[in-house]
Amino acid sequence: MSNVTIPTGRKLRIAAFLAVMGPGVIAGLSDDDPAGITTYSQLGAQFGYRLLWTLVVSTIALVVFQDLGARIGVVTRQGLLGLVRQKYGARAGSFSAVALILANVGTMTAEFAGVAAAGQLFGISRYITVPLTGFFISALVLRGTFKKAERVFFLLSAVFISYVIAGFMSHPHWGAALHGMVVPSMPFNRGAISIATATLGTTLAPWGLAFIQSYAVDKRLTRSDLKLLRADVWVGSLLTGVIGFFVIITCAATLNHQHITNITDASQAARALQPLAGTLAKDIFAIGLIGAALLAASILPLSTAYSVSDLTGSPAALDDKFEEAPLFYLTFAAITVIAGGLIMIPGVSLIWILISSQILNAILLLPLLAYMFGIARDKKLMGEFVAGKRALFLYGGIIAIVAVCVLAQFWFMFNL
Amino acid sequence: MKRPPVAAINTVAKRLVGRSDLLISRKGVRDSLVSLAGLIGRPVLDPEGREIGRLVDVVVRHGEEIYPPVSGLIVKVDNRKIFLNGARISHLTPSSITLSSSKINLEPFSRRPGESLLDADVLDHQIVDVDGLRVVRTSDLYLAPFNKEIRVIGVDISFMSFLRRLFPGSLSRRPTPDHVIDWASVASLTDSTGVVRTSGTRAALSQLRPADLADLIEDLAGRERGALIEMLDPDLAADALEEMEDDELEGTLRGLTAELAAELLSRMEPDESAEVLRDLEDEHRESILNAMESTTAKQLRHLVSFDEELAGGIMTTHILIVKESETVGAALKLLVENRERESSDGVVVVDSKGKLLDHIQTVELLAVDIKSLVSELIAKPYPTAVTSQTPINEVVEEFSNNRGSSIIVIDAKNKPIGRILADDLVDALSQNRGRFSQSGVTRA
Repeated sequence: MSNVTIPTGRKLRIAAFLAVMGPGVIAGLSDDDPAGITTYSQLGAQFGYRLLWTLVVSTIALVVFQDLGARIGVVTRQGLLGLVRQKYGARAGSFSAVALILANVGTMTAEFAGVAAAGQLFGISRYITVPLTGFFISALVLRGTFKKAERVFFLLSAVFISYVIAGFMSHPHWGAALHGMVVPSMPFNRGAISIATATLGTTLAPWGLAFIQSYAVDKRLTRSDLKLLRADVWVGSLLTGVIGFFVIITCAATLNHQHITNITDASQAARALQPLAGTLAKDIFAIGLIGAALLAASILPLSTAYSVSDLTGSPAALDDKFEEAPLFYLTFAAITVIAGGLIMIPGVSLIWILISSQILNAILLLPLLAYMFGIARDKKLMGEFVAGKRALFLYGGIIAIVAVCVLAQFWFMFNL
Repeated sequence: MKRPPVAAINTVAKRLVGRSDLLISRKGVRDSLVSLAGLIGRPVLDPEGREIGRLVDVVVRHGEEIYPPVSGLIVKVDNRKIFLNGARISHLTPSSITLSSSKINLEPFSRRPGESLLDADVLDHQIVDVDGLRVVRTSDLYLAPFNKEIRVIGVDISFMSFLRRLFPGSLSRRPTPDHVIDWASVASLTDSTGVVRTSGTRAALSQLRPADLADLIEDLAGRERGALIEMLDPDLAADALEEMEDDELEGTLRGLTAELAAELLSRMEPDESAEVLRDLEDEHRESILNAMESTTAKQLRHLVSFDEELAGGIMTTHILIVKESETVGAALKLLVENRERESSDGVVVVDSKGKLLDHIQTVELLAVDIKSLVSELIAKPYPTAVTSQTPINEVVEEFSNNRGSSIIVIDAKNKPIGRILADDLVDALSQNRGRFSQSGVTRA
């Protein structure tokens, strides 16, 4: 006789959690991309443990807004840009989309640069690693089901453990780290302000916010999935912070300790680690960098494609065929090809692309967070899930912090 | 304002539905089309051509007519928003509106039932394209004079039209009627008072298969879902709900009034309704059951009380019971009366005390004289029966041992109370197994 097993109680809940586990963790962890690792490395190398608290603030902001994005997606069944178009008009929607596309192309270039740099640490040319990566991620995300891709993403994100290991190998000063986390101190100079802004901007990336919302829509997650999705988002966002923490203390314990503060990309950080913490630490750091780049490079074009489809209102689903969602797939291809192409042009100034895309991300963050604030308090859109006074206060506080950072950044940009 | 005869519009509508390209491509019509997106913010003029104010929004009235007429304008005059009756429009061009008189009452706008604002409620919002079976976003709306009134004729959903609106000046106002969907074939769902009804939409929606409708409903958020479901014929809506995923259905019911939810659930198969109700929160379930007709509510309450992992939890209570003393003719009559139900493949025969004797198929009834008694047909094989407390895996065992298409469920006194069909069992098993894979992420 056949075995009919009917899962009950606890077993069922855990199974359901694992089933819904994914988008939040993926979106969160892909914020620890090469641009993020670079920023965290700089933060640690230049300021030691002192600015760790900015990571704490950024992580709280990430948790809060990823959680809001997931909720908006589930309740309204619409992506962020689609809602912006509906609520704030065609121009606001298009402006956000154009800025998001530009920023995403820039960030995608940074991901490829991360792959190229990590490859070079092992002596492989970027003309091999970059096209290979582009091909790999397209095949992964577009061919086969997303479920398979998700498993690969999880394998990739396991690589992030390497940062935790590197952190322990560098023998950090735990007391100083704890102090830096809970006691805010802020040197008022250009370097400190811009690294704090960059930390906020790279942790709370606009494309991550757009992704979690679109993903919930694409996968038709329902209100009964919401609890699990939120747990997933929280886990993902907190993990992001934890990994950022270990990158920072690794660099604080080694680079900052030895007064090596002029780090401009993450592979430099890896290279600088070698004499201080050993070859293994360098290799582990480099492997983490490749995993980070692959994960983010897979999600970025996807997030962009979702956003464009949201804006135009044309159907967007990973399981659609090309003929059903041409715009979705064309956007995906365009982002990948353009970013990959930029990296391959000999002599192109990558650092300029990276910096301007990070600045664009930070600028874009402000209106997007404000739009999300507006959507969250819209009773017509959110129904029973409309944000209460306390939640709005929290959202407003975070937006104010972002605004202060961006303004301070501008002030230093134009006064020097 | 006189209403044009409905018949005239219906004729035109017939020509228009699905053929909007023809009407739009006609030179006369193309020239008279006015882009709503381009018109917003343009001047409203008095008969002498002097500017009175700027257009803020266009109000339309949804009624019996397929193409909703403009019932008024919201105009900004000296920083005040005032309402002007639509009957006062004398001339409409892509860049201005001319009124028939210069007199202005400074009456503020208040929305009347059945009205919606084209810019605030429809433009850039989601609508259901009934012909294309998808949820789309409105890029533009086209107005044109038709049957003595200015009406919404079509909806543009193209990306090009959306981009066109971003251009400055007159470029943004030029109609680009390449991807116009006829208004008759869309369902606009975002009126803030609740529902936009157009008879054309309702007719078009009723042509859809329940499974397609279920997909459309699942694509929408709560408010719009409620609006779409309210537009549907209740029987069709109930069929569509049966096709939906359990999670989705639960969310959908939450967006409906208790009365509507009660009506739809009582039109669904009892076992399906019970399954949904069982998953609801106690308070919500009670409010729906209280809004139901008492006998249906009682039956459902009984069903809900069974554990869904026992036979009672998956059975349908819809069975046709005849006494052994009745005639075959009476049994057949009962079958004909219930031919819409899935349980109409035979009757359950009971003795004078109501205890189970046999299940007799329709074919067997047809083979004998209608005056003969049902009791004459009772013979082996006797039907398999389980009690309502039998666990599902034992029911499966009974099924595979007997190779039948259904099993009778009896209570402790051997009285039939329901039946489990093979497909109920398939549903129950696939749902239980599906818990692992059903959550959105892995539904790919």
